[in-house]
Amino acid sequence: MDAERSNTTNSSPVLWIIAAFALLILGGLLIAETAPLILPPEASAEAQQVDNLFKILLAIGGAIFLLVQGALVFSVIRFRARPGDKSDGVALHGNATLEFVWTAIPAVIVLILSIISFQVWVSTTSAKDNEMVVNVTGARFTWSFSYAVPDHENLKVNSSTLHTYVGQSLKMVMQSADVNHAFYIPAMRIKQDLLVGRTTEIRFTPTLAGDYPVFCAELCGSGHGSMRARIVVHPDEATYLSWFDDEVNVLLNPPADPVVRGQQILSSGQYPCAGCHTLTELGWTGVTGPNQNGLADRVVKTRVAATGLTPEEYLLHSLYHPSEYLVPGFGNLMPQFQANDPNAPSYMPVEDMEAIVAYLCTLEASGENVCNLDNLQSLASQLK
Amino acid sequence: MASITAPMGGETRSIPAPSPRIADYLRWSIDHKIIGVQYIVTSLFFFVIGGALAMLIRWELLTPTLDLATNGSQYNSLFTLHGTVMIFLWVIPMMAGFGNYLVPLMLGAKDMAFPWLNAFAFWLIPPAGILLLLGWFIGPPEAGWTSYPPLSTLYSPDGQTLWAMALHLLGISSILGAINFIVTIRNMRPEGMGYWQMPLFVWAVLATAIIQVLATPFLTGALTLLILDRVAGTSFFDPSNGGDVLLWQNVFWFYSHPAVYIMILPGFGMVSEVLATHARKPIFGYRAIALSSMAIALVGFTVWAHHMFTALQPELRIPFMITSMIIAVPTGIKIFSWLGTLWGGKIHFTTAMLFALGFLSMFVIGGISGVMLASVPVDIHVHDTYFVVSHFHFVLFGGSVFLIYSGLYHWFPKITGRLLDERLGKLHFVLTYVSFFFTFFPQHIAGLEGMPRRIAVYDPMYTNINQLISFSAFVLGITTFILLYNLVHSLVAGERVGANPWRSLTLEWATTSPPPPYNFVGDPVPFEDPYGYGTEEATAYLDALDRRFPPPTKLPPTAAVPHPEPAGD
Ligand code: HEC
Ligand SMILES: [Cu+2]
Repeated sequence: MDAERSNTTNSSPVLWIIAAFALLILGGLLIAETAPLILPPEASAEAQQVDNLFKILLAIGGAIFLLVQGALVFSVIRFRARPGDKSDGVALHGNATLEFVWTAIPAVIVLILSIISFQVWVSTTSAKDNEMVVNVTGARFTWSFSYAVPDHENLKVNSSTLHTYVGQSLKMVMQSADVNHAFYIPAMRIKQDLLVGRTTEIRFTPTLAGDYPVFCAELCGSGHGSMRARIVVHPDEATYLSWFDDEVNVLLNPPADPVVRGQQILSSGQYPCAGCHTLTELGWTGVTGPNQNGLADRVVKTRVAATGLTPEEYLLHSLYHPSEYLVPGFGNLMPQFQANDPNAPSYMPVEDMEAIVAYLCTLEASGENVCNLDNLQSLASQLK
Repeated sequence: MASITAPMGGETRSIPAPSPRIADYLRWSIDHKIIGVQYIVTSLFFFVIGGALAMLIRWELLTPTLDLATNGSQYNSLFTLHGTVMIFLWVIPMMAGFGNYLVPLMLGAKDMAFPWLNAFAFWLIPPAGILLLLGWFIGPPEAGWTSYPPLSTLYSPDGQTLWAMALHLLGISSILGAINFIVTIRNMRPEGMGYWQMPLFVWAVLATAIIQVLATPFLTGALTLLILDRVAGTSFFDPSNGGDVLLWQNVFWFYSHPAVYIMILPGFGMVSEVLATHARKPIFGYRAIALSSMAIALVGFTVWAHHMFTALQPELRIPFMITSMIIAVPTGIKIFSWLGTLWGGKIHFTTAMLFALGFLSMFVIGGISGVMLASVPVDIHVHDTYFVVSHFHFVLFGGSVFLIYSGLYHWFPKITGRLLDERLGKLHFVLTYVSFFFTFFPQHIAGLEGMPRRIAVYDPMYTNINQLISFSAFVLGITTFILLYNLVHSLVAGERVGANPWRSLTLEWATTSPPPPYNFVGDPVPFEDPYGYGTEEATAYLDALDRRFPPPTKLPPTAAVPHPEPAGD
């Protein structure tokens, strides 16, 4: 038989080439097997598809890598000039067949990759049945998620953590309050920029319960690195609803005490304070603005004298006119909130302001309220 | 077949040894060789600055919290300046420096087509560099080298305006330089050198210059709008007044993607020269390499929006994916052709060759990650993460910088008449190669794990890998000083060489090292094939060159002391 004969003549180049390519393919496949070790948990339907595509790319890329490094190492050893050898190599200028092959094969490979990528792209981005819509606002340097409440048109559940559950397809509808951001969940393999002046969207379907990080992936300023949130994927709808219903309950029965209300508003993540300020009580870790631990003490001790305002006036100004009295050592980076235009991202109704200030006034060692709440109330009613 | 007795033409009277003085390099000069050296030295200076910034960045990233920088803005300024300096004040001017020095010599010409314009283009660079760095004192730019509005317009301090003005000057400099190259290459080729006999470096510079002339005006245009938005109250990029934030991204990348090729194509040209010369073998597939540069230049104009896959309107993502995939093909052709050049050669492991080989083995990784990034679904995951940082350092450091190093070791003897120290060179290569790999390869992994780029404060799960990266980066930073020391040391004490120490066939070697102000005595006749190694004619030509420009007589090998000639030239 032919094959038998060429087996015995072990210098047959065809056999060598076949063996080399078999090795390359094997090597590529082995390299592709490392993908799961590197990638974050595969927590969405999209992640599985993207990872499979990535493995294909890694296998092909790995084989090409081995081919080039192999040829390089082989040449360097085989064709090194021996000491004292002053002669030239062979006067070989090219080989049309070979050049055609190494143009055509990569062309075919990238064509195939384009087609597979296209298929994955179409299937991961298409609209799904029964999508849950979550509104996302990116503001320097926090994420805030807002959910419609069934049967209560005017109510929105706001949260600084994204909650959902296994199997529920999501459609994120995203807007930026200031500069461009990018909404990125590594575990879901999704990313989409938030563009000022536009609304952008992205879809995914979580498949693995857990708690994963959410990042901002588009440079947005000093606190970009700390513009992070969490996504909690509940194992089933029931656990998700128990969270959601609690939130709705709070909204339907707001506490009478403005201090408690203020704390609730701030911890809901509806306003982007956490990205810039540190406040241990609420888990804020931002570093762009002043540390708010003991804020009330500091206001009474230094800011009142510096500004000539009462503590409640000063804090009100900090929200509605932050540029007027800058804290020494900080730039004018605090967003200016306003109570006039409900559609703007900077909207903060007077009721919210009142509650927030009331709460901020308790941030001191003893927990006492340093402000005159009656005075605050009358300031607020003047504004309305 | 050309006759082997008269391959050089021109007169045979000897050329007086030139003795350029340092002062010549510090003032206006229209000699392309002096301008070339001015470019090279200036860009090396900025390389050190950009490198120092990189060290500070890596220092900050040793821990997941802020420690070196007092706030995030300061860190953002570090990488903004690092990127801007490395691209616009190091790689691009360095490549222009090689082009200036070598193109007229390779063409057997006495100078560039427009010597005065050439000098003018260079002298725009120092003020631009100063302008950029001055920004540090009035509120440094902190929006990244890409400077997307509205961060770069409504939310950035005044240094951002200086940043834009500096880039504007650099853009003009680049356009003027490119026009000069195109005209020079078109009009000043010697008798007997058609386009298909040009050295591949000249082809590469031509392709680069075409890109620069076509693309850079888009950058300067976009910068004009940015400056107007910042200082004149216009709102080209402000949606609240009818502007559009994506306008900047589109126009910026319409320049900045081709700029990637502005930074790598001249290097591709250099590596073709180095590989053929030090492997003693004709370049494999000359036409394919020359044409693939042109193909890259052309297709390079159709891929810009792959930098915006996460911002671009979804329907447009697939077309840009396809063009971005296609551009891998001409790049692949080059890599395979270079491997073909090595095959059957007689490889000499000079430092220039080592860096060229190092380039081949590292650049291919950048090419593979480039195809991964072109695939939209994968890019969605790794866009704006350390995977991208890794990718572009593999092509810019593993590519452009390795090739600049290779070019420096290869052409230093032509520029100075002295070799760079090969022992230091090999040390430089080994340390650079290893520390480069361990600085940038792990960044792929950090990126795949999801670590965004441009952050000083990161999720603690990325701490270990960042420490590995930082420590490798510190070693990489130190290796630069081996090169700098070698450059200075060899300038005064390097081994003296003759016209053609590497026995290369291209024309720049057919004159003294360093060449006289007018480059050649008479009109040189190029050897019929710039890569005709391995033929008797080539050997005869090279021997004739050695007879015409005799190498300095070698001292006996025991004498390791520098030659007794007066130093300081
Ligand atoms: C983009 C970053 C940023 C965001 C978001 C932000 N702040 Fe600030 N904040 C600052 C900076 C910077 C300062 C200091 C400069 C100044 O006084 O305006 C500041 C100052 C303040 C002050 C005055 C503090 C003092 O120590 O005297 C208060 C109160 C305050 N912020 C509360 C808030 C609240 C409440 C929110 C959310 C509704 C918020 N900030 C959101 C950056 C921010
Ligand atoms: Cu952000």
